[in-house]
Amino acid sequence: MANIGHITQVIGSTFDAEFSEENLPAIYNAVKVEVKEGEGTRTLTGEISKQLGGGRVRCVALGSTEGVVRGQDCLDTGGPVAVPVGEATLGRVFNLLGEPVDGRGEVNVTETRPIHRPAPLVEELSTNTELFETGIKVIDLLTPFVRGGKAGLFGGAGLGKTVILTELIARIASSHGGYSVFAGVGERTREGTDLWNEMQETEIGQTGRKVIEQTCMVFGQMNEPPGSRLRVALSALTMAEHFRDQTGADTLLFVDNIFRFSQAGSEVSALLGRMPSAVGYQPTLATEMGALQERIASTNKGAITSVQAVYVPADDPTDPAPATAFGQLDAFIYLERSISEKGIYPAVDPLASSSRILDPQYVGERHYTIARRVQTTLQRYRELQDIIAILGVDELSEEDKLVVHRARRIERFLSQPFLVAEVFTGKAGEITPLEETIRSFEEICDGKWDHLPEQAFMYVGVVEQAEEQAKKMAAGT
Amino acid sequence: MANPRALDKRRKSIRNIKKITRTMELIATARFKKAMDRASAATAYTDRITGIVGDLARAGLDVSHPLLDGREETANAKLLVLTANRGLCGGYNGNVIRLATARRGELAELAGHLSMDVSGKRGISGFRFRDIPVDQEFRQFDDQPAWEGVEAIADDYLHRFVAGELDRLDVVYTRFHSISRQTPVVETLLPLGSLADDSGEASAESGSKPVYEMIPSPRSILEEVVPTSFKVKLFKCFLDAAVSEQIARMVAMKSATENANEMIKSLSMTYNRARQSKITGEIMEVIGGVEALAS
Repeated sequence: MANIGHITQVIGSTFDAEFSEENLPAIYNAVKVEVKEGEGTRTLTGEISKQLGGGRVRCVALGSTEGVVRGQDCLDTGGPVAVPVGEATLGRVFNLLGEPVDGRGEVNVTETRPIHRPAPLVEELSTNTELFETGIKVIDLLTPFVRGGKAGLFGGAGLGKTVILTELIARIASSHGGYSVFAGVGERTREGTDLWNEMQETEIGQTGRKVIEQTCMVFGQMNEPPGSRLRVALSALTMAEHFRDQTGADTLLFVDNIFRFSQAGSEVSALLGRMPSAVGYQPTLATEMGALQERIASTNKGAITSVQAVYVPADDPTDPAPATAFGQLDAFIYLERSISEKGIYPAVDPLASSSRILDPQYVGERHYTIARRVQTTLQRYRELQDIIAILGVDELSEEDKLVVHRARRIERFLSQPFLVAEVFTGKAGEITPLEETIRSFEEICDGKWDHLPEQAFMYVGVVEQAEEQAKKMAAGT
Repeated sequence: MANPRALDKRRKSIRNIKKITRTMELIATARFKKAMDRASAATAYTDRITGIVGDLARAGLDVSHPLLDGREETANAKLLVLTANRGLCGGYNGNVIRLATARRGELAELAGHLSMDVSGKRGISGFRFRDIPVDQEFRQFDDQPAWEGVEAIADDYLHRFVAGELDRLDVVYTRFHSISRQTPVVETLLPLGSLADDSGEASAESGSKPVYEMIPSPRSILEEVVPTSFKVKLFKCFLDAAVSEQIARMVAMKSATENANEMIKSLSMTYNRARQSKITGEIMEVIGGVEALAS
């Protein structure tokens, strides 16, 4: 027998419903409301998040609450929101409820999974640690990714988080045999469409198949109500988990942007009547983030490698939302405004960024030494910057002058042309193998390329290209 | 936004730097006046004696002096580099060292054996860093180079030149043209004759060839005048270098003070904003908490 209650109150994107005491729906259960819209009706799904006592429950609406009326019928579905999983989802675009939104008709699914699931158990977790090469110099050298690990791209507004994420999709997914899942959380719909179009064009290696055929996308963008943005990451994650558990293949999960998840949580939290905590965030910030991040894990059945963009409000990394996400990640890439102002992209801050596996144990002695030398040089340069600004570069000791000289070259050499930016810059994207990256930086640190002008190091791949660029520049003037 | 405490600390350290640069600027200004007086007092004398030697070298057919003779083959060359003992004077030392390094390359091709003498701690350490061996090091010349000290060095060079151990002496220093213009230059002081072209222009303009009557004999006069002329010229190099150093320091410290001022200003702005936003944030939290409790 269907368990039907009725709506007693609507507050923004939350609503209260009353059921009989015996048939109270459980927390996280999905409830459905038929909302009149124009001539027809649409179905609004809500998620129980609080039991108020006396048969009343408070739900977070996973869609717009416009048109919901008190007294309306409200159907308990008897379980959490479930999304379709499996190979049928590949090549399709979904919303958080698992409904296709790409206008290509029904998805022929045989299996669905609830979006709320426990995280893998301790004994199931994989302990393998292996470097994951991206072909981007600054990332491979200073913040190497972990296969089956989590990487975060932190940055303020307009520093190129989405560009780097798209670039990584182009690089990794196009050479990657397994499946990819993309979660668009609270970002621009246009970006999602761009990505979708690009995936339909990009081929996987030489196979002649398109990236989109191995990818499924889930979107809950800016225009959606907070409940939707709060749950869309879970929907995408559920699909990725299925690929991991059933196929055993390496699965890639891209999330843009995890901050919107926290932000949506804070919007909902106030409506649910929780007292705000630091900087106005929800008191359950860490819990929510933990519940999501702990599920993005590699188990002995398969691996999920995830790359997440994290917006940093007001360029302040100590803000609770990015700070909470920070602790969960293996590789931490921080994009810095002062670097992007110099026109160096990707604007990765080589000193603030780090990776768990930048350790001789994992990456090898040579890689580690070079990475640390690069960082030491840049660190020294940064320390000297005040002195240079006041007294001028001439006042430095000879040793420091050399450090500055090399640091300025290293700084520029960390830039790299992107595959996805080719149409804008007219420069072909560069994929630099890790071995070449290490050699190039070693030679710059050793002073082999001190004679080249700084500008020659901008937007090149291996260091020999800087030499070519220097020749071209000399010929041009 | 960085934390206000760190910003304030940075601002304090820049204030301290500013105090130093401001003081240095004032000291340099005072010293510059003194050095300038000394240098301009010497200039007239030097110019005259240089002119005389140049004229003699060209006018007198039969006069000859070992110091005036150009050597056919330069076997032993010497490069004397005049730098400051102290830093904080902008590009002063760097420019001289750079020019000296370039000249050293040229001379090394020309001469069989080349050695370097350096005055000033900055130059000494600069060449040590570049792995360029330095023969003699002088540290005793400060902002007021003493005639006795320079004469001793000059005597040594003269002695070696006459003995044939030295065939050419080049001096790299910063020449003082005016308060707004000083340029690092290379001058060949030995053999003296090679300088005739340099000072020759002045006498060529006057149109007439000066006629000298030598009493008691040209020889004895040259014996006296030529070495003195060399010493005076060398002394002038030291004086010029000293004046230029003070000017360079004055200018460098002035701009450093200005830069520091600007930096303090922008740091203060960031600091105030950080402080204010922190306060606002805290107030908001308190109010939010109160409201939440009230409802």
